[in-house]
Amino acid sequence: MALSPQELVDMLSGLSLFADLSRPQLEQVAHKMTEESYPVGQRILRQGFTGTGFYVILDGEVAIKIDSEEVARLQKGDFFGEMSILLGEPPVADVVTTRLLHVLHLGGPELEGFLRDHPQVMYRMLKAVALRLYNASRTRS
Amino acid sequence: MPLETKQVASALAHVPLFEGISDESMARLSAVTGELDFEAGQFIVLQGQVGTGLYVILDGSARVVRGSDELAVLGPTDFFGELSVIDQMPRNASVQAIEPTRCLALASWDLLDLLESDPKLALNMMRVLASRVRQHGELHRH
Repeated sequence: MALSPQELVDMLSGLSLFADLSRPQLEQVAHKMTEESYPVGQRILRQGFTGTGFYVILDGEVAIKIDSEEVARLQKGDFFGEMSILLGEPPVADVVTTRLLHVLHLGGPELEGFLRDHPQVMYRMLKAVALRLYNASRTRS
Repeated sequence: MPLETKQVASALAHVPLFEGISDESMARLSAVTGELDFEAGQFIVLQGQVGTGLYVILDGSARVVRGSDELAVLGPTDFFGELSVIDQMPRNASVQAIEPTRCLALASWDLLDLLESDPKLALNMMRVLASRVRQHGELHRH
């Protein structure tokens, strides 16, 4: 059920991570990243294991689990995998599909170059990480 | 006594956040940062206020407090205040000088300009934030 290049670019243009990109830039993103699908119940990232990637959800849903306990669910437009790539450390959570999942995937070593080529995406990602930190630090007290 | 632009640049070059940024960014950064001196006990930023800038400690030390909890102690080359600049939410903690402390301050609009124009700076910043999120996660679990 791969999308046509046209459909994929249309879909990307609706995701907030890519909201600042022009059509030609979206085409580059679509070209650079690989479309993948996963059935329900599949573990995409494993807590404590290396060998990761960066994923942007096009459709479907995943659960984030730490020590088997569910801490969050991610849906269309959300992304995951960037933390362990940026830090060069294994994932601290399992990511498991809860609905048929359709993602764009980028290999870990390519993420830094990708972000440098697309500063607008980096900036959106930076905001998302900042918000996560803000929320994490609020729930802590 | 105010520092020369060159001295500012050499102080900034030792801050991990600014490692590897372009010469052009470093020059802009040195030109737009200002120095601020704080007395012992003085608050540098206050919890609940929306951030107007990023601070880098040049000299001295400061404590990060939320309510009555001390969360961390910061020293030379440490920075704070970035979160509120990026997400425009109120500051989630206060920072208070422990001793006479000198900071470099970078206004939020200048920081945002630099982040948008130098991907290396944004990447450094994101790494720092990501590792802080991780630390929070680990604190949650223990």
